[in-house]
Amino acid sequence: MFTHMVSPLTPYLPVAVVLGLAGLLAVLIPALTTRLGPRSVNEIKSATFECGSDPIGSARQRFAVKFYVVALLFIVFDVEAVFLYPWAVNFKALGWFGYGTMVAFAFTLVMGLVYIWKKGALTWES
Amino acid sequence: MVVDVVGFLPHATIHLPGPFRYLWLQPICCANSPPRMSPEQILFWVFAVATVFSALGVVVLKNPIASAMSLVATFFFLAGIYVLLWAHTVAALQVLVYAGAIMVLFLFVIMLLSINDVGPAVQLSFSRLLGAVATAALLAALVLAFRKLPTSDLAWANDPARLASFGSIKEVGAIMYTQWLFPFEAVSLLLLVAIVGAVVVAKSRI
Amino acid sequence: MTIPEFTMADFWPVIPAGILTAAAIVLMISEVFLGAAASRTYQSLLSVLACVLAGAVALMNMTDTPRAVLQGYAVMDPFSSFLTLVVCVGTGLAALLAAGFLQHRNAERGEFYALMLFAAAGMTLLGLSNEFITLFVNLEVLSVATYALTAWLRRGSRPSEGAFKYFILGAFAAALMLYGAALLYGATGTTHLTDMAAKLRAALAETDASGGHPKQMLIYAGFLLVGAGFAFKVAAVPFHMWTPDVYEGAPTPVTALMSAGVKAAAFVALVRVFMALGPAVDPQLPFIAFSVLALLTMVVGNLLALPQRNVKRMLAYSSIAHAGYLLLGVAALFAVGKDAKVGVLSSTPLVGISGSMQSDVYQGILFYLLGYTVTAIGAFGTIVALERREDETKGNAWDLDRFAGLGSRKPGWALAMTVFMLSLGGVPPTVGFIGKVLLFRAAVDAGLLGLSIVGMLASAAGVYYYLRVVVYMYMRPAPEGALVPERRWTTELALVATAAGTVLFGVLPGPITALLQRTDMLFHR
Repeated sequence: MFTHMVSPLTPYLPVAVVLGLAGLLAVLIPALTTRLGPRSVNEIKSATFECGSDPIGSARQRFAVKFYVVALLFIVFDVEAVFLYPWAVNFKALGWFGYGTMVAFAFTLVMGLVYIWKKGALTWES
Repeated sequence: MVVDVVGFLPHATIHLPGPFRYLWLQPICCANSPPRMSPEQILFWVFAVATVFSALGVVVLKNPIASAMSLVATFFFLAGIYVLLWAHTVAALQVLVYAGAIMVLFLFVIMLLSINDVGPAVQLSFSRLLGAVATAALLAALVLAFRKLPTSDLAWANDPARLASFGSIKEVGAIMYTQWLFPFEAVSLLLLVAIVGAVVVAKSRI
Repeated sequence: MTIPEFTMADFWPVIPAGILTAAAIVLMISEVFLGAAASRTYQSLLSVLACVLAGAVALMNMTDTPRAVLQGYAVMDPFSSFLTLVVCVGTGLAALLAAGFLQHRNAERGEFYALMLFAAAGMTLLGLSNEFITLFVNLEVLSVATYALTAWLRRGSRPSEGAFKYFILGAFAAALMLYGAALLYGATGTTHLTDMAAKLRAALAETDASGGHPKQMLIYAGFLLVGAGFAFKVAAVPFHMWTPDVYEGAPTPVTALMSAGVKAAAFVALVRVFMALGPAVDPQLPFIAFSVLALLTMVVGNLLALPQRNVKRMLAYSSIAHAGYLLLGVAALFAVGKDAKVGVLSSTPLVGISGSMQSDVYQGILFYLLGYTVTAIGAFGTIVALERREDETKGNAWDLDRFAGLGSRKPGWALAMTVFMLSLGGVPPTVGFIGKVLLFRAAVDAGLLGLSIVGMLASAAGVYYYLRVVVYMYMRPAPEGALVPERRWTTELALVATAAGTVLFGVLPGPITALLQRTDMLFHR
């Protein structure tokens, strides 16, 4: 019956516990600080910066394109890494055959790495 | 020992009125038991409704950063749905790659643009109307397609050993590196093209 | 787990793609290591060499026995091998054109050729994919490479607009196709085309308690989405909106590659998917869908091309029209034969043509693809020689006036352009004429008389705008300070080769048609 049912949720008990704790803390800590902490609000304290200079303009500046190149390359290699996990846990069973397939896979991407390295896409252009 | 996370939750018995009958999903293990909502089903509806609303948020919200955050939420809820489908690896990758890496890129793109610029107001035009009609027709066709689908038990729904390993990273790897080699190697070509394409399009001096 | 075993027989069909990829990697790496120190002319020649080698292997594969290879993810059949050949011809010629084009703009880099070869590898792999995930990945390889190539000249609004439109709509089309494939997977439980065809019949026949067919709508919705995705890629009306802007914004050699290679590969994949799955469902539906698409594409493409004074844009619309003629061939594959009356609205039960008639249609489609590739690349090559970087922002770089008086100033160039225009219009003695004859004859034999007549009328209308270019070249005086074509030996070589090919295959189509006279063109099982 139901209690013996295998559920896809079973391995996620720790996740649920952590999520619950995180949610609890997220509510608890602000609630406690607003209740317990003494507050005195004045004009100087509520200014954005307290380092002696007045804030100028918005914090939302446009980013330079160079961030974008790095982020894009990060994603490509992140996806490559994703393909390494299932291979790594089966490393012994797949043997030399699996090693060969992964070498072929990684070779093209290493060529990509050599390319962007020499191209200077990883150096910070100023 | 298998810890039953959800077995002690109360099982609600909900009878849906006729037109909504097709929304009913039988739990894959207990097709013969009387209809009641299993914890998986409750969670499914939580995730499904949350997915749709957070996806709507991506489109409707005015602030692009808020849209992007709504997209993060969509990815998380989708990961929940993948878990309910026993696709554990896909769920993990959904959080790792989409909610992690790809969202970083989205935020970068938003910050590359000056987000204070408001785009042109949406105006009703013939092509927009046509697009709306096409979208509605597609939605109607899909509802029709899904409405009649039979619910059937998976052949291995009562095989605990299979269920325990299904969708795990080990099993995915065992299949991908023996049975799915050609598409797998093709992906490396795709990634290489993406690397060159990214540098060509975005690097300031080439 | 069982470790699979492969033999050399598995790898022959993917060797052309391997050669192209290897050359692309060499170009990419040599660009960063040699850099500006060396002359970059070797890059174009290396690309041509890779295309020649890959094409030679493809030609060898043509004679091999059709079979499924690589665990059924790919097939080895004359259909895909000939596509590989066409793609190699197209890419090699486009790489020759690119040398002059890029040197004029001081934009020649190894990455350009590398991306071109990557795109070509994606095209050849797309043609032999026999499984939906493989098909999708290879489609993305070619798409991502062409998106980046479209944005190559990054300055100015036209390249940006073109690349952006191409990327957004291409991604949208790919998503549609993927969704459709997912629905078909949901109905059958497999992504292999061969398995899917077998299981589709059973899935359609399934009945529920009330006697209905529960999976019918799911399968049709899947077909609709996959078909719409392909229609975007081949630029069939009403999914053609992106074509003119993208073709105009892209660097001209890339436009040549797109109009020839990308379209040919998408057509081959479309034929493979629908010939595997369509008959399993009901030939009537794909027949009606492709007939309507062919009708709209032929008529609208030609009508939109009529008023264009911008030659590059005119060729973009003309490529839509040519997709229409090819769709006519695809529709013919699902018809019955000339004895039965076939109409879009008729209720004759269709079973799909078979045997020799089918191989006639395949022959027509493939010959047309080759002819169009050679001719279109030649036509775009003439544009490459006549356009100037300074004028691109002004928008008159491709105006008809550029061609005025070319006949008296540069008779050789004018003659080549005349040959290309006649071939695109389907006038003998050119390859375009033979292609149209083969295609329309096969369609008429399959019973599509009405649609073929519409196609012939539409292509007769097309002759008007092609001949207008010829009229400008020979009967209009050259304007003051008219530009002379830029002379580079690579461009001239490409133009001579395409012009010679256009006439030669038009006069002596024998060797090609003999190569395509096969009964085992498309591998099914």
